[in-house]
Amino acid sequence: MSARSLTSVPTLAARVRLQIDRVTGKPVLLYPEGVLELNETAGEVLKLCDGQRTVAKIIAALAAEFEATGDELTTDVLACLAELRGRNLVTT
Amino acid sequence: MSHRPYGLLAELTHRCPLHCPYCSNPTQLSARESELGTAEWQRVLHEAAELGVLQAGFSGGEPLIRDDLAELVRAARGAGLYTNLITSALGLTPARIRELREAGLESVQISLQADEPSLADRIAGAKAHAQKLEAARLVRESGLALSLNFVLHRLNIARLESMISLAEELGAERVELAQTQWYGWAFLNRETLMPTRAQITEAARIASAAKARLAGRMEIFYVLPDYFGDRPKPCLHGWGRRFLTVNPTGEVLPCPTARAIPALRFENVRERPLRWIWDESESFNRFRGTEWMPEPCQSCELREIDFGGCRCQAALLTGDPASTDPTCSLSPHHHLIGEATAAAEKVATEARDGFVPRRNPSAINE
Repeated sequence: MSARSLTSVPTLAARVRLQIDRVTGKPVLLYPEGVLELNETAGEVLKLCDGQRTVAKIIAALAAEFEATGDELTTDVLACLAELRGRNLVTT
Repeated sequence: MSHRPYGLLAELTHRCPLHCPYCSNPTQLSARESELGTAEWQRVLHEAAELGVLQAGFSGGEPLIRDDLAELVRAARGAGLYTNLITSALGLTPARIRELREAGLESVQISLQADEPSLADRIAGAKAHAQKLEAARLVRESGLALSLNFVLHRLNIARLESMISLAEELGAERVELAQTQWYGWAFLNRETLMPTRAQITEAARIASAAKARLAGRMEIFYVLPDYFGDRPKPCLHGWGRRFLTVNPTGEVLPCPTARAIPALRFENVRERPLRWIWDESESFNRFRGTEWMPEPCQSCELREIDFGGCRCQAALLTGDPASTDPTCSLSPHHHLIGEATAAAEKVATEARDGFVPRRNPSAINE
């Protein structure tokens, strides 16, 4: 992992909307012509992507909320953001 | 019921200012007087959201012809749906864009017929191209998401490279290079509109090079047409599985072209709740799952990948909606596809390009 990946500030791409699916109760991303069903981690990460927090702060907030620590959480968050960036749903 | 719909296509009207010969609307178009009213559509949108729908596409015909479009967009947003407008862009004035944006519209998809103005206007049967370009710029400025859609056929496919450049120039986030689907008006014009195999091969090469070149800047959507492949398209990811269409008169269809299946009777939102139609109706259950499948589909390991292809196409080409889609090379009717592409090759060498323009229901019925 690079230093840049921890100091960048991820935000939802324009015209992408985070919503709770009323059928499953799980988070989904809505965007032109598409729906992406998210797992719980991705949903929690995206809730914190407010255009202010850095990736490091998002990880710290999640660590505090879920009493999780260490490399596993960092790896999960970075992988999740990388995938969403790859789909042009998150920008940094 | 294990499936829930994700997308609703709301075909608000069959009226349209364009006359594109590749239109997949039915050749029997519905008149204005038979269209659902504002309150009926608002109820449909609400019921769709309750059923699990997350995306609403407002289409037609030309949805901008409906004065109540903004009210319907507002109802869709109010119900939590993501809202897409699928339009010719004729009538998309700055005031209209503002009104739709304020109502909560999120994304606009504009159809273009070609990059070259006189060709585009000839295909559209109207002086439309310049207005479309202007509307695309306005949409971009307004901050709404912009997709462009080119429907490809023999009259424009040779200009694919220039069409992609135009999309880039207009700043689209996404461009659909959609193959003509041979239903409705397009089916009537199949011989004159179907590309040759050489054109399809060249188009695939151009699309894939552009996709690589524009990665991260503009998304390019291109699919090999089913008439030129070995396996059928996984039509709507299965019948009654993810999508539903409500047509201008309120009939609920598992697929936008399902009216091509005369053997099926479709329920109407004026008579039944949407949930009942999705869960219980005969039309939605007829081709759900894999039980209905004949051989070679029944024992095929791809049966839950392509779902036996398109029911509408099977009905149109073989007369039996429960037969394997003839575009599959395993179909006993596959020769029909070879005959159709060969006929198109022959017409292409004769350089015939006359077509039947789509008519407007108001011109027929009013």
